[in-house]
This record gives sequence, C-alpha cells and structure tokens, in this order.
Amino acid sequence: MVASEQDKSKEQKAAESEVESFRKDLGPFVVAAETTRMAMVFTDAKESNNPIIFANDSFLSLSGYDRNEVLGQSFDAFFGGHVEPAALAQIKATFADGSKNDLEICFHRKDGTSFWAAVFISPVRDKSGDVVQYFASFVDVTQHIQEKEHLRFLLAELNHRTQNTLATVQAIAVQTLRGAAAKEVVDAFEGRILALSKVHSLLGSQHWEAVSLREIIDRILQPFGLNDRRTVRFSVNGDDVRLRPKAALTLALVFQELATNAMKYGALSHGAVGKIDIAWQVEPSPQGERMRLRWRETGGPPVKPPSRKGFGSRLIEVGLAQDLDGEVHLTYDPAGLVCQITMPLPRQAAA
Amino acid sequence: MSPDSPIFGRKVLIVEDEMIVAWLLEDMLAELGCVVVGPAASVKQALAMIDAAPIEVAVLDVNLNGEMSYPVADALTARGVPFVFVTGYDKERMLDGYRALPVLQKPFHRSELTDTLAQLLASAEPGVV
Repeated sequence: MVASEQDKSKEQKAAESEVESFRKDLGPFVVAAETTRMAMVFTDAKESNNPIIFANDSFLSLSGYDRNEVLGQSFDAFFGGHVEPAALAQIKATFADGSKNDLEICFHRKDGTSFWAAVFISPVRDKSGDVVQYFASFVDVTQHIQEKEHLRFLLAELNHRTQNTLATVQAIAVQTLRGAAAKEVVDAFEGRILALSKVHSLLGSQHWEAVSLREIIDRILQPFGLNDRRTVRFSVNGDDVRLRPKAALTLALVFQELATNAMKYGALSHGAVGKIDIAWQVEPSPQGERMRLRWRETGGPPVKPPSRKGFGSRLIEVGLAQDLDGEVHLTYDPAGLVCQITMPLPRQAAA
Repeated sequence: MSPDSPIFGRKVLIVEDEMIVAWLLEDMLAELGCVVVGPAASVKQALAMIDAAPIEVAVLDVNLNGEMSYPVADALTARGVPFVFVTGYDKERMLDGYRALPVLQKPFHRSELTDTLAQLLASAEPGVV
C-alpha cells in the first residue's frame, strides 16, 4: 500500500516532530540510537496503525530503503511486505505480550536479496505505565544461520559416510570370512556391526546429544522379534531415560550380545518357548541419579555357566563396567540367565 | 533357501556402485535363491539392463558415485517393476517425490532384505492387489 504524496508528507512530518520531541527529552541517547551499528526502529503505539517514527542509519542500510520510504509507514504494512506472514504474526505476538523475545526472521531487502535477523522487541512506557512506543532492533545473523546450516549438512554427510563405511566393513568381513570361519562366527560379527550402525544412525538423528533407552531397545531387539505379535517373547518396562552417546553405544552392544546368546542357548533358542523381561528403574544416589536395569530370561533350556568366556560376556562384564562406570552381574540361574546393570545417568532434561 | 519362499527364483536387479557392497548383495540374493541381474554401477548401465531383460524386482542404491539413481526409479515405475532404495542417507535427504517409496537403511541384515523383497513382490502380484 502506497500512501499518497500528501498523506506521506503529513505522516512524515508527524513522525519527525515526534522524533524532535524525544530528541529534546533524551538528547545524547537519540544520537547514540542514530549512529549505533545495531539496526533500530521505533513506532508510535498511540496511533492505531502503529506508524514507524524512527529508523536509524543502520536499519536503512540493512534494509536498503531511504528514510522517507520508511517513516510514517504503518509497521504492519511495511514489515508485512518484507517478511513471511508467519514471521509478522510472531513479531506482533511479541508486541502484544513482550515475553517471547528470541525471534529469528528472514527479511527481504528492497533489492530482493534477503538477510536473517535476530529481532528484539520492547514496549516503551510513559510515566503512567501506558505503552507509547515500541522499540524493535535487528541484528544480522545471516552468517551465523548459514554456518549452522552448513554444520548440519556436514553432520548429515558424516553420518551418511559412517553408515556407508559400516556397510563396506560388513561386506568385506562377510566375504573375507566366508569359508574360512564358521557361519556362526560370521553371523555374530555381522550382528555386532549392524548393532553399532543402528545406534550410530540413532545418535546421528539426535545430533549426537542423547538418545532414549527405549529407542535403543527397539532398534536392537527388533530383529530378535521384539514386536512380533504372533508370539510375545519380550516385555519391556520402565520410564524412558536419556542416555549419553557412549552409554548408548555400549548398552546397544550389550543388548545385542544378550539377545544373540538367548537365541543360541537361552529363552529364544530353537524349540524354547521362553520369555525375556527387561525392566528398569531410576533411583537417586549421592552422585546423582542411577539406573538399575534387569534382563531376565525364563522358559528356556536349563542354564549352565559357560566353560569359556567369549567376547560377549567379556563385553558385558568388563566393557560395560568400565565404559559406563557401572556394575554388572551375570547370574547363570538354571531357570534363566539374569543380567543386572547399575549405572549412573546424566541429568535428565525436563520432559 | 527353500523354493516356496516368495522370492525364490525371482529376477532381481542390483544397482550399486560400490563393488564390495554389490558383491555382498549378490551373495545375499543368490543365497535366497534369486536370479541376480547386474550389478549395475551407473544409471546408464542400469537403464540398459532394464531394457535388455525382464526384471521382477530391483535393489537400488540412491547415490551412484555422485549420480542420483532417480531416473532408474522412474524407468522401473514406468514398467511396473517394484523396487527398494538402499542408502546410508536419512530419508529426509532424498527428493520429495521419492521419499515415500520403500527404503532400506544401509547397512542392513539379510533378513531385512528378504522381508522387504517379499513384501514388494507380494504387493506387485496381480490379483493380490
């Protein structure tokens, strides 16, 4: 919407006299606002169309407009032409309550190019507490946003390459070992690589911050029939907890070993109609929260302690204890294997 | 693999540029009793193979040495041949029109491949649809 020349000059005049009045009141602050590198705009909140009554040089050079193209324009009309409707709605919501003040908006310049701005908005009140003006400042964060996007891209690329590398490792191993090692050995190796890859992909999707225990259980135990509706072999009980990447990787490998063992000798072995109960609870401790998790098998063939300790039980008993700073007890109960894990938890983010 | 498996004896095209991974796929599929066509390492090779011989189902790597395999996907779709993408990428990185198609995340277990191919062939079976 373009105001007629006459209107514009009238509005501009009003705006200028408004600025004149606070130039008198605020003296040096107005000079500061005019010359600072931060782009700033003031509007007149007393007028129904909320016209822009002040725009500093930084705002003009950032937006590419002349002062007479900005002053006197209604804030909504001017910004509505340069930002997405959703962004304008966010700005206006901030005008209304002043609470949510971390907006990042994309602003289209007069010449059609655009920049990302962090917007800060604040009402200016008179002595009686009424809002007389709105103040809006804009910091160009284009470079920051581009760097963030680039970083996200690189991380996705890295995740992708990791998965491809693991696929190659899987292929090399299976083909190298074929004929040279028992099928059981090849399967165990392949299973471990695939377990590792599943947690990597999960961690990648969470930007390597924290992952949920339930999701790890879900991904690792899926191939072992976790969600098989025909025969329910698993029960999983516990409030979900977030795990650090290292703990997630170690626990995933441990579940992989326990499940493989259950397939070979335990509750999931051929002909058995056993079940696996996984349950955990979180409890306070002097060093923060700890988790107690129990893997318990029932209904499998009678359990005997192994005559020799393989990679699996070493990983469980030694690796887990060291990597997780926790305690692990494997009990070869004749009724079924029991594995009890106690480990510290990171501070849980509020749900 | 028993002859009553739904994928036994079926002609499967492999499109994968990384030879070692392609060999693994070949081995997996041969073990399942499939007849392997390929592997094709580029879009051009894959299109030529699709033209040359009838194919019942295909396993399609998304990124072929920097070249996206979407034209192969289109050619298979045009012929009514079901296929599954395999990729190390997140689904989100794929082009809009292809994201809803079946995808196997690399690396995968042979059982995942078997299940996916069986599903694809079952849903492509005339009279079952």
